[in-house]
Amino acid sequence: MANGNDSPVLELRNVTKRFGNLVAVNNISFSLERGKLVTFVGPSGCGKTTLLRTVSGFAELDEGQIILDGEDITNMPPNGRDTAMVFQAYALFPHMTVAHNIGFGLRVRKKSKPEIDAEVERLLALVQMDGLGDRKPHELSGGQQQRVALARALSLHPKILLLDEPLSNLDANLRVSMREEVRKLQRRLGLSVIFVTHDQEEAMSISDLLVVMDHGVVKQIGSPTEIYEHPIDEFVANFIGHINFFPGEVIDLSGDEMTFKISQTNLKVEVPPFPVSVGDRLKAVVRPESIDIVSAEKELSDRENVLEGRVEFGMYIGSIMRLTIAVGDQTVYVDEADPQHKGIFEDGQKVKLVLKKRIHMLRETSD
Amino acid sequence: MSLSLQNSFLHELASDTRHFLRRPGLAALTSVAVILILLFIVFPVGSVLLKSFTVTYPTVTVRCQSKVSNRADFKELVTGPILGAIRSIEGVEETRELTDEESSVVVVRFRRDWDDLRGLNDIKRAVQKLQGTFALSVENIKYELGQETIKSLATYGRFFSKSYYYRALKNSIVLAIVTTTIVVFVAFCFAYLGLHGPGFIKAPLRVLGLLPLIAPPFIFALSLILIGGRMGILTRLLHLPFNLYGWPGVITAQMITFLPLGYLLIENVLRSIGSHLDEAASDMGASGVDILFKVTIPLSAPGILKAALLVFIMSIADFGNPMLIGGGVSFLATDAYFLWISENNLEMAAVFCVFLVLPSLIMFVIHQYILKGREYTTIGGKPQQVEERRISPKIFYPMMAVAIPVALMIITCFGMILIGAFTKILMIDNSFTLEHFQSTNGLRSLLTSLKFAFGAALIAPIFGVTLSYILVRKRIPLKRVVEFMALLGFAVPGTVMGIGYILFFNSPPLKLTGTFIILIINEAARNLSVSLEAGVAKLHQIDIAIEEAAIDMGASSFRTFTRVVLPLISSALAAGFVYTFMVGMIAVSAVIFLITPGNNLASLYILAVAEEGFLGMACAISVMLIAVVMICLGGLKLLAHYTKTTIF
Ligand SMILES: Nc1ncnc2c1ncn2[C@@H]1O[C@H](COP(=O)(O)OP(=O)(O)OP(=O)(O)O)[C@@H](O)[C@H]1O
Ligand SMILES: [Mg+2]
Repeated sequence: MANGNDSPVLELRNVTKRFGNLVAVNNISFSLERGKLVTFVGPSGCGKTTLLRTVSGFAELDEGQIILDGEDITNMPPNGRDTAMVFQAYALFPHMTVAHNIGFGLRVRKKSKPEIDAEVERLLALVQMDGLGDRKPHELSGGQQQRVALARALSLHPKILLLDEPLSNLDANLRVSMREEVRKLQRRLGLSVIFVTHDQEEAMSISDLLVVMDHGVVKQIGSPTEIYEHPIDEFVANFIGHINFFPGEVIDLSGDEMTFKISQTNLKVEVPPFPVSVGDRLKAVVRPESIDIVSAEKELSDRENVLEGRVEFGMYIGSIMRLTIAVGDQTVYVDEADPQHKGIFEDGQKVKLVLKKRIHMLRETSD
Repeated sequence: MSLSLQNSFLHELASDTRHFLRRPGLAALTSVAVILILLFIVFPVGSVLLKSFTVTYPTVTVRCQSKVSNRADFKELVTGPILGAIRSIEGVEETRELTDEESSVVVVRFRRDWDDLRGLNDIKRAVQKLQGTFALSVENIKYELGQETIKSLATYGRFFSKSYYYRALKNSIVLAIVTTTIVVFVAFCFAYLGLHGPGFIKAPLRVLGLLPLIAPPFIFALSLILIGGRMGILTRLLHLPFNLYGWPGVITAQMITFLPLGYLLIENVLRSIGSHLDEAASDMGASGVDILFKVTIPLSAPGILKAALLVFIMSIADFGNPMLIGGGVSFLATDAYFLWISENNLEMAAVFCVFLVLPSLIMFVIHQYILKGREYTTIGGKPQQVEERRISPKIFYPMMAVAIPVALMIITCFGMILIGAFTKILMIDNSFTLEHFQSTNGLRSLLTSLKFAFGAALIAPIFGVTLSYILVRKRIPLKRVVEFMALLGFAVPGTVMGIGYILFFNSPPLKLTGTFIILIINEAARNLSVSLEAGVAKLHQIDIAIEEAAIDMGASSFRTFTRVVLPLISSALAAGFVYTFMVGMIAVSAVIFLITPGNNLASLYILAVAEEGFLGMACAISVMLIAVVMICLGGLKLLAHYTKTTIF
């Protein structure tokens, strides 16, 4: 390798890409550690694909620099770059067999036939497709085609693997199992991967690092936990999972604790990690699953941080029950993982909601 | 164009050009393609246009070498009297003197079309009469014949001042309108009955609607002559005082010739409407007639309009039918040919060509840039299986009244060709014979046609499909212009491309007229757009990511094209090949200007023998021509079957 193992494998410096007047990627910088999986996530049209394509070379940069393993590849054509891409619709060569598809890059590199055959066998085994080398792509299921595309991309031992919504054409169950497989393979082979998705759950579950994008700019870069627990702004908070916002005012500060007044209640919470003073307007950000819910009759030992509300309705989302609660004129979402145990909450029932002491706070933005 | 629009256009052009120049391979390939398009399509058509704006005059130059040293004396003694004598000669339009040091040069321009030899003799005589007076001062006198070409609108002026010229324009347009109307009407009946009619009528109508497609475009004229010509069966049997030559013949022949085109397009649009709208309308109480006029026809209007435009273009450009059965009525395409072949009047022929091009070009632009992509927007959805359903009698019988006679006519035409081919001389000696098939020239021309069609069918798809790849996938400056230039060969009537080639490839270094290769190139250029469009359509179906995947794997652009793109668009290549081959076998209108005695084509040979009255032989060669085309297509189909590719 050209560089020491702790230098980043990929570095984007102030990358900008425009289409006419539209700035699809706006001055983005970030770097990826070797052997890590980073996910670009964001709403449709935010520029994820475009950013990925600047790395593969299919989108020419307007400004900025791309460094791959210490080498400036900004002006290198795509076929010279040591990157490999897995396309959304797989882009397998329909007129070639699976084995030919996987061996294509090796043939371009003029490897010997026995060498290619052996490598293709190895790759087929790697993606659990042994014995299917003679099939044509149209004779495969979606998941199998995906594996072939992956094997083909891995055939040249790229310095970085680029995956553009690789799972979006699969059905829900297959998506989940395939993404686990991709993650395992990435860990096992120590691959450096950029993964693009607009599915936040997929992004959270698969990544070492998340890059949350919106309108061509990076909103936040961080580990899934960081982004989930400490979203930098409302956009990120909203995008990554369901969220409740409680706007309010700091009315008292004492040591590590402060009193935060939301519509009818005063909350006693920890002081956020940024400087605050009395009178500041903030927003409390609370995930639905970190709110405890009990029926209104139940006596609570600790009376602090309790909101009273009424169940509007509840519905199952996967294995949890999401309750929509009216608290004054605000709607609050609460996830209950074990409704059976607590007793089903009926529509219209009066309930108490208990908030934690440690609550993520955002400064209220002007817009 | 507003300023900002213009700016953004220029901006884009500049950025496209920069992008383009950074890719030397692409730039080289594109340049070669553009040069070929310019050479073999744009410049020939352009030279027709230029030619129409020029007039050529015969000139005689008189050169007198001086013996005296004094130039003023010489002028007074020699040049002056010569000019005086010449001015009064008949046919002289203009005289000019170009004096240099030791001679006097007088250029005499005669009227257009003036016999230049007669003019030369007149001048010689006039000068000789003067000889006595200046014998002492002149050493010798030389005469030269020449030509002078002048930019002028005079040919257009003459076109509009002489009725035998502008009548051709009027006739061609009237013919196109009449033919188009009839074809659209008949094709609609065929398509409607073929889709919705009772079972027994569907299949025959479908077959008959498409059958004329496989025939050389003028054999209907040929069989109409056998039926209703001066010696035709009907004319003789019924002692008719008239015959089909002229308007009735041309219109009938064109109707049958262009029926398949109209039928295909209209059937396609009717099919795509599907039955659910009809059902919805009838659910709301609309009668069959209501549905036809208020739902079906309005919905299929874009398709019908498209069919009408194409038939209009084809009718104006048609050469074979008016040639055979026109009976002396002037039409643009054929008269342009006669102007060239019998008067060598290329200037007037060029003016005819301009009027031939104009309607086609207008229609083509309407079709290409206004109607295109709009055919189904009002309808939406794919062609659907239409369910059988009873047609209201008010529609059924009138439509049958149109379709049945036309269907019978088509069958009769094909039958007459067969009968004609095996009969000694129809209506005079009706005995069976095979002698018409034994024409050596006919067989030789068939062989030439095969070589010709095959050659064109190799060039056009390779060039057209490669060009489609550049146009669809690559960023090149002025893409639309390149595309338009490439399609021009198809839009411009064959007569114009023929005359254009005569004009453009007539002088070194591009002296190609008279060669066989120019015939092939001409045919390939004229049919380029079919392969181009087939390639474009196919490329739009292929996910661009597949090519990117190859590039991503390190393949070069060239390798990507040959290993990935070409195999995937091979069906477009095959379709281009089959189409070009088929039309090559029956080509008439452009090649007629370019053939030489040694390499006559079957279709032209048929035309020639038919015109000389050897109808039996014309029929026999037509039969063989159709047979050869079908055998070749059958062979291709088998080949495709064994190699598991789809061709057609
Ligand atoms: N070739 C192009 N020409 C013009 N505009 C483009 C082109 N490619 C992308 N864009 C625009 O750039 C913006 C970013 O597009 P991009 O494909 O990167 O979004 P994305 O985040 O991948 O969205 P999705 O989740 O829908 O795939 C969009 O507004 C898109 O319309
Ligand atoms: Mg995308």
